[in-house]
Order: sequence, then C-alpha cells, then structure tokens
Amino acid sequence: MVIYGVYIVSKSGGLIFNHDHNVPKIETEKTFSYPLDIKLANENKKIIVEFGQRDGINVGHILYAINGIPVTGGQLDDGRDAMQVLENKENYPISLRFGRPKMTTNEKIFLASMFYPLFAIASQLSPEPKCSGIEVLEADTFKLHCFQTVTGVKMMVVAERMQAGMDILLKRIYELYADFALKNPFYSLEMPIRCELFDTNLKLVLEQIEKSGITNI
Amino acid sequence: MTIHNIYIFDHKGGLLYYHEWNRIKQSGMTSEEEAKLMYGMLFSIKSFVNKISPIDTKEGFLYYKTSKYTLHFMETPSRIKFVLNTDNNAQDMRELLQQIYSQVFVEYVVKNPLSKLSEPIQSELFKTKLDAFVKQSPSFLAKPL
Amino acid sequence: MSRSSSRIDTKKVNSELVTLTYGALVAQMIKDLDNADDVSKQLERLGYNMGIRIVEDFLSKTGSGRCLDLKDTADKVQMAFKMYLGVQPNVANWSAAGDEFSFILDSNPLTELVELPDDLKNLKYCNIICGVLRGALEMVHLDVQSWIVQDQLKGDSNTEIRLKFIRRLEDSIPAGED
Repeated sequence: MVIYGVYIVSKSGGLIFNHDHNVPKIETEKTFSYPLDIKLANENKKIIVEFGQRDGINVGHILYAINGIPVTGGQLDDGRDAMQVLENKENYPISLRFGRPKMTTNEKIFLASMFYPLFAIASQLSPEPKCSGIEVLEADTFKLHCFQTVTGVKMMVVAERMQAGMDILLKRIYELYADFALKNPFYSLEMPIRCELFDTNLKLVLEQIEKSGITNI
Repeated sequence: MTIHNIYIFDHKGGLLYYHEWNRIKQSGMTSEEEAKLMYGMLFSIKSFVNKISPIDTKEGFLYYKTSKYTLHFMETPSRIKFVLNTDNNAQDMRELLQQIYSQVFVEYVVKNPLSKLSEPIQSELFKTKLDAFVKQSPSFLAKPL
Repeated sequence: MSRSSSRIDTKKVNSELVTLTYGALVAQMIKDLDNADDVSKQLERLGYNMGIRIVEDFLSKTGSGRCLDLKDTADKVQMAFKMYLGVQPNVANWSAAGDEFSFILDSNPLTELVELPDDLKNLKYCNIICGVLRGALEMVHLDVQSWIVQDQLKGDSNTEIRLKFIRRLEDSIPAGED
C-alpha cells in the first residue's frame, strides 16, 4: 500500500503545505541510432515525447539529458540547442535520458489553485440540492481523497487506488494541523506551513499506515 | 439507486446530447452554458489528473464523488466523452457507459449516414433506444419525488 | 420502434454486392466528373467520410485504447482490414525513423472483377481505402498521409498502401464566449 502525497489548500485556495511521500522516480536511459524513431516536440520549453513510445519511454515523458549532459529549457548545459543536436546525424549513436516530468513547486501551487474551482463547479453542477464539492476522485493510477473542514481548509491525500482508510487519515492530518500549525503562535493563518513538528509527525503517521494499516493511528 | 443525467460531448467539446431522468436541482443557467461549464471542468480535471498522477496514466480520470452524487466519465480514443451522473451507490457505471457507446451511440448515430457527427443528436431512434437502455440498467430506479 | 436491434448478418451479405456497388459508383463518378484525377480525389473524400464513422465501430467493438506508437497503430489497422475487408495485409517496408510503413495486400476484394481501360490508367481505383485510413486515424488524433504505391490494376503483383505519420493532433480546448 502506498500513499503518494499530501496537500493542504487554504481557505482562499493557496497551497499551504505539500509533502511528496512516496513518488516513484520514472527515468529511462537508452542509446539511439540515426534517425531517431521517437517523435519529439518542443512544448513550453520542454522537449516531450509526442508519439512512438517504447522500452519504458512513454508519451508525455520529457528529455532530461543527452549523453549525460542535462537538458534545460530546450538547451544542453553546454549551450547547444537540443533539437539541433538530435537532428544532426553526426551526433549518433546518442544516449538519451527520458523521464516522467516532476512537478516543480510552482506547478504544485498552480495545481492546487486549479482544484479549488473544480471543487466549486462540481457542487454547482450537482443534480441534487445541498451538495458538497469533490470528496473522492479516482483515475486509473491513483485515488485522491479530499476533506474540507468547516472553516474551508482542504486536506488532500493522493494514494494508491486500493489504499483504505484515507478518510481517517485525513481527519488525523486535520488534528496534526490544529496541533502543530495552528497552536504554534508563530504560524500565521493562510501562510505556508513550515513547522518541523508538523512535518515529523505527519511522516510518522504516513509510515505507520503503510506499515501496519490504518487501525493503529 | 438512481441515474440522474447524461451528457455526450463530441471531440471538439460540443454537446451532442443531454438527457435527464431524475434531476432535482437545476444549475440555474441555460443548458448551453451548463454544457460549456461541464466540458471546461472535465478538461481541467483531465489535465489535473495527468499532472498529479505519480505514474503514467492510461485511461486517466474515471469518476469523482461528492456527498450527493457521483460523476462517471468515459472517453473513447476518438475523444468522444460520455458523462453519467448517478447517486453514490451505483455500481459498474463504466461498463454501462461502454455499452451505451457500443450498443447505442455507434449503432444509431455513427452508423446513421444522415446524422452529422458534430451536431446535436436529433435522431428519435437514438433517444428511445438510449432511454430504454438506461432504464433497464439495475442502477436505474426512479426515486419518488 | 419497428426496427429490431438484430444486426445484419455479415455472412449473408454477398461480398460481390459490395464490389459491384463500388464499381458502379466509380464508373458513374467517371461519367459525371469526366476526369480520373477528380474521381480519385472524390474517392479519397468518400473514404474519409466513411473512416470517421467506421473508427467508432472498430473502437467500440474491440475496446482498444489509444495508440501510443505507430507500430501499435499498424497492428490495429491490420486488424480493421481483416474485420471490414476480410483480408489481412502485411505490414512492411518501415522507414528508418519508424514514421512510415506500408500495408501490402496480396488480394484486394475491391479490384477482383476490375480491368482498368487504357484511358483511365491514372485513376486510383482504390483511393477510398487511403481516405478511410486518413479519416479513421484523424479521429484518434493522428494526422497521417496515405497513398497507393503499387496497384494490381496497373500490373503490379500486389497492392501496396503507404502510410506516413505527420503529427499528433491536440485535444480541443473549451470554446470561449465568442
């Protein structure tokens, strides 16, 4: 059983806490000969695999390195343009490292602020009156559990689909939030939670669940 | 158990079909606006799911659940989107959506040479077939109003 | 509704009826348009319109997911040939970059009863298949080009249809108010 991550979103929709618990690292390195049989595209300054997935290199992965030299913003660290390097036959055989894009902090903040309106629209489009926002959202790879406190703070846990007892975990996180963030006189509301006690206690709870199930917390 | 309503969107995001069976609350906007809002929400959820997923997704978003209803989502590889709202007890709704796609939509819309694939579905045959299909589903049990 | 849901039994539909219908259609188009190139173009369009529909039938029956590489696409189209045309083409002649390949049909049910007259040597009789491929793949967001390389009607030993991947099409974003 795996818990992937925990997010806390403030009343006004800002991400105030995030912890990546157990995110698998997906990277593949492979040597290619000319011409390259994977279609790449330059999107938002990232080189992504557009079509032609194989050997663990999947559509949507981004190019991290060429011959061990990291690629950032479409450029190699030595200043060459990555696409041009890939087009030049003389550079082959070439070793490329691809991986699933990792979220930057900015992207996480963006993502958290995105959940906020989705939550509200889901309630607006309800066919029944007095409906809450999204409580559970499931995809083929994970399940997201969301708990909104009466005061409007949202706790979210992303876990494996089969992981049980997440509602209990969410309440437990709420308690931790109350104990180690709110009761800390130096924590101001709506601001990112940077409290060591909160971090350590949260990690403890997550590890406990993964080891011995939900009953012991 | 009950099935509330269904939305079908074409690959461009246009509303092909909407029907409701047991809907108590209206959203308070025109059906056109509501469809746009629904499509916009689905679009955002899909992108949200792709980003937050720890590993590569295949089917992606499947459903979400609120305190009162569950929204089931199915998208074909040709990006036609089927959305079914039910109460929280309904089971195996993706299977029902897949059947609606293969046994009703493909048969009575796609194979009807007179139907335009990017315009709202007018076919009475489709409407009756879909209605009958949903009503025979075990999840469909009209609540007394 | 009087129409029952019982499907047409494919075994009962004579394949020669299809071949004949297609032949009559092409012949009539040649009379109407009087230009082999225009007819070829129209046949491709006709195929396209069939492709964008038939793909749904294929997807719903096979339950297959989205293709993520062209080899996968080739396999699925091969399966579709078998389903709809009753022939299994070989997938061959891959380009080095893996973005182009051919379907090779040893026998082509559309052309079995056909002899091209001399004045129509540039007619692409089977162009409808190219159109079907383009239409069907466009619906699963693959922009491809398709053309006939070898044609049994022109004395080649088999029919070869080439397919080239151009790009992947993006999902449409929600429309604005205007």
